[in-house]
Amino acid sequence: MPSDVAVLRERLAALVGGDNLTADGAAYAVDGMVPALVVRPGTQHEVSEVVAACAEARAALVPWGGGTAMAMGNPPRRLDVVVSLERLDRVVEFDPDNLCITVEAGMPLGRLQALVAERQERLPLDPPDADRVTMGGLVAANQSGPCRLLHGTARDWVLGLRVVLPDGTRIHCGGRVIKNVSGYDMNKLFIQSFGTLGIITEVTVKLLPMPVCRATVLGAFTGFTEAAVVLAEVQASFLLPEALELLDPAAADLLQPVLGLDSRGTFALVAGFSGSQSTVDRQVRDLEAMVASLGGHAKTFREAESDEAWTAITNVQGGAAPDPRRVVCQLAVPIARTADMLALARTRAAAQGLAATVTAHAGSGLVYAALLPGDDLTEAGALAGLAAVTEALREEAVGVGGSLVLLQAPPRFKARVEAWGKPGSSFATMRRIKTEFDPQDLCSPGRFLGGM
Amino acid sequence: MSNKVLVQELRRVVGEANVIDSDVHLQLYQYDAYLEERRPDAVVFVHSTEEVSRVLKLCHAHGVPSVPRGGGTNLSGGTIPFKGGVVLEMIRMNRLLEVDKGSLRARVQPGMFNLELGQALAPLGYQYLPDPASQKAATLGGNVAENSGGPHCFKYGVTTNHVVGLTVVLSDGEVVELGGMAPDTPGYDLTGVFVGSEGTFGVCTEVVVRIVRQAEGVKTMLAIYDSIEKGSETVSAIVAAGMVPATLEMMDQLVIHAVEKSLACGLPLDCATVLIIEVDGLKDDLEEQTEAIVRLCMEHGAREVRVAKDEAERALLWAGRRGAFGAVARITPSYLVCDGTVPRTTLPLVLKKVAEVGEKYDLKIPNVFHAGDGNLHPLILFDWRDAEQKARVMKAGMEILELCVQLGGTISGEHGVGLEKMDAMHLILSAEDIQAQLKVKRAFDPADLANPGKIFPAAQEVSHAQ
Ligand SMILES: Cc1cc2nc3c(=O)[nH]c(=O)nc-3n(C[C@H](O)[C@H](O)[C@H](O)COP(=O)(O)OP(=O)(O)OC[C@H]3O[C@@H](n4cnc5c(N)ncnc54)[C@H](O)[C@@H]3O)c2cc1C
Ligand SMILES: Cc1cc2nc3c(=O)[nH]c(=O)nc-3n(C[C@H](O)[C@H](O)[C@H](O)COP(=O)(O)OP(=O)(O)OC[C@H]3O[C@@H](n4cnc5c(N)ncnc54)[C@H](O)[C@@H]3O)c2cc1C
Repeated sequence: MPSDVAVLRERLAALVGGDNLTADGAAYAVDGMVPALVVRPGTQHEVSEVVAACAEARAALVPWGGGTAMAMGNPPRRLDVVVSLERLDRVVEFDPDNLCITVEAGMPLGRLQALVAERQERLPLDPPDADRVTMGGLVAANQSGPCRLLHGTARDWVLGLRVVLPDGTRIHCGGRVIKNVSGYDMNKLFIQSFGTLGIITEVTVKLLPMPVCRATVLGAFTGFTEAAVVLAEVQASFLLPEALELLDPAAADLLQPVLGLDSRGTFALVAGFSGSQSTVDRQVRDLEAMVASLGGHAKTFREAESDEAWTAITNVQGGAAPDPRRVVCQLAVPIARTADMLALARTRAAAQGLAATVTAHAGSGLVYAALLPGDDLTEAGALAGLAAVTEALREEAVGVGGSLVLLQAPPRFKARVEAWGKPGSSFATMRRIKTEFDPQDLCSPGRFLGGM
Repeated sequence: MSNKVLVQELRRVVGEANVIDSDVHLQLYQYDAYLEERRPDAVVFVHSTEEVSRVLKLCHAHGVPSVPRGGGTNLSGGTIPFKGGVVLEMIRMNRLLEVDKGSLRARVQPGMFNLELGQALAPLGYQYLPDPASQKAATLGGNVAENSGGPHCFKYGVTTNHVVGLTVVLSDGEVVELGGMAPDTPGYDLTGVFVGSEGTFGVCTEVVVRIVRQAEGVKTMLAIYDSIEKGSETVSAIVAAGMVPATLEMMDQLVIHAVEKSLACGLPLDCATVLIIEVDGLKDDLEEQTEAIVRLCMEHGAREVRVAKDEAERALLWAGRRGAFGAVARITPSYLVCDGTVPRTTLPLVLKKVAEVGEKYDLKIPNVFHAGDGNLHPLILFDWRDAEQKARVMKAGMEILELCVQLGGTISGEHGVGLEKMDAMHLILSAEDIQAQLKVKRAFDPADLANPGKIFPAAQEVSHAQ
């Protein structure tokens, strides 16, 4: 706690107006820790003033975008002020002719997409919950979705950022041109910084022309092996799917209402294609044939139906009934190991009596496993089982050069299992960066890798 | 070298023959593709991560700076040992360590030439996409340090979009792994931060790159214009039509003449400018795309559009483009390449203004550049023996960079700041921006021994005086 919350409160109220400040932080608790104040600055300049005031008062702060990723990371070591970016939701400049847009950090991704779609453009980043995810949060948490297969992640689309550093200083990184090596690439420092190096207040991204034609091919297989074989075949072919998702039967079941899968208990391999009519048609044909040759059942969705299918697939993990006991992990492995990791997550979970829903960005090396203990387990038993599975999977992922990160977990679970895993050889350098930028350790203290 | 002891110790680490300190030999390491020169005190040939680490530990103990050197093709003075010290010759670390087709990754040593990697991957049906025009002589380590681009970057992005892991030796000899074969390594994205750091964060000794299947098909076109303005308008028109060609390169008349003189690629000598446009991907719509582009070019005032009929014709066009700098070098004692970048739609305007700068300073300025990226390369021709002319060139260069910034662009698209553009940094960065960048420099290299004196000289002196 800062020595005097009341003083800070007055100071912040003077900066942003009493309406934009509250002491009721219950809705902004981070891992159960409730902030003393929640402040909603209205301009980038106000963000800088707010941060400077917090720094002076030695108040620990956590930036808050759409709140969809607040379950990620270690519990904060301290939390005094949540800085909500919700009022920073304006377009700064849209330059459709140069395929580029600048927005304030609180702009929801969904709104940005709707806006640029009017000019037949899009940002090919598609994390779950697009209507809530803010551009600042997307960048800070480096969020992505199925489309990352062809289009990459935030680091491939962010051209420029404005950031308020932990002492309130305002800086800018990059610019609005698509090639820029004028000094260090500071954008990369703030992408995936999880609010530990300051607050992102403005984001410039490049855009893509909207594809003429879209289609989704769903291959349903009764066996895992067949799905994995087709996956490998697609990867070795000339086909250029935009997305390639592998869903286990539990996830496929969740999608049944939308995708109309024929039978329960199937593994689903879903590929998204976009481009000209002729390339999309050809890819659909090729994939349908591959699916059929392995005894799978293929179903194709086109245009608007294809878009709906992707919205459902992207949000599949969020479709399960909310349960505070659920643990969601993200496993990152070399691409060739993705399918095996999905299978392993299922087996390990089953062995501990956990219900698992496992999906994968199968062409990108990312597996998402949502684990839920059975109702027959005691709380201690459930925690032990979840921890055992998570630790075992982490060991497997680390063994092949990857990682396991907790996306969502109850605070009591986080007390047992590290949110990010063990830091590697570059941790000392990361620490020095953190200390250079945030010597008082006030921005999201303790939340990141290694308790940084 | 004043420090004979260090040379002795270095010889013990890498072997007698792998340390050079004779004046004649050192001369070879005092310049790169930019215009400044400065002789190093010693050159060390390194062969492994471990060796680099031991060498840097020694340098650190003696407080001696070092500069890694790849092909020496950078255009901003990046390899000039500005504060003396040791040059690390990386060229012997040139092995391809691993190709993992299933995971679409290759692990490479930094001294390998960009083209060599391409040649090693091609028989497997794979490719590494960034392809600087200098790919024959530029190393992957240099590409990483400069975040190099190339003619295919409009569609595929620059080096940073394709580098996913690095082994780096810091200036105190510590070895750190950044990123790797798996995606989204937890923690800060130090791989992304390192790419483009121009040797000032440490020495990279291994690179993990993303590889992709070779495209199923490719079509290359040459659009010929009598007006440079029309050519650059076409670039925007193609993009506005929703097309994403792999390549949109432009050469003006002066460059065409130089190229024809040395390479004879069959480019028309009487036109104002040509665009090289390439589309690639699945075969199914390449014909369709080509027709649409030809139509657009003609609508926007092209005199003629030639479509390469076969691989030989395509190779000829590319030989011309890739050989452009070299060809220009034959018609002038020296040139300064400006690397400013602008929003693509301002190309017609900026080209006009560049020509005006040429007139104002009475200098010839041919242009060959990555038009799709809005990345200009005006080449200001001069004779380095003429000090007065050189002074005019420097002024003209600065004016061009100022122009780019005024139009919403920046001072370097792909060649880096090095020694060359230090004085232009203030055009785009505030004092606070520079201080923030220096924080990162200090975190990687607290002793300021990694390629010191580059990118931000003035600010650096301020911060070290503190
Ligand atoms: C069940 C589940 C499944 C998921 N599946 C996937 C998936 O398949 N693929 C994937 O990529 N992601 C996945 N996610 C992650 C999710 O999509 C992200 O959490 C979301 O994109 C983050 O955006 P936000 O605006 O809600 O950020 P927030 O939750 O508000 O913030 C995220 C982080 O960034 C910080 N922050 C926020 N705004 C700023 C700012 N302006 N400046 C600095 N720091 C800031 C916060 O302090 C916090 O640390 C999943 C999450 C869950 C719970
Ligand atoms: C004819 C010509 C055409 C060109 N075309 C292009 C183009 O199309 N696109 C483009 O982007 N550039 C181009 N360039 C510029 C240049 O080729 C690139 O910058 C290239 O990447 C430099 O590679 P290099 O191996 O020659 O590096 P060097 O010149 O040897 O070094 C460049 C910088 O990298 C550092 N460095 C080298 N190796 C390492 C290492 N292992 N670890 C850390 N730092 C290291 C050096 O210290 C230096 O600061 C061109 C240059 C020429 C002469």
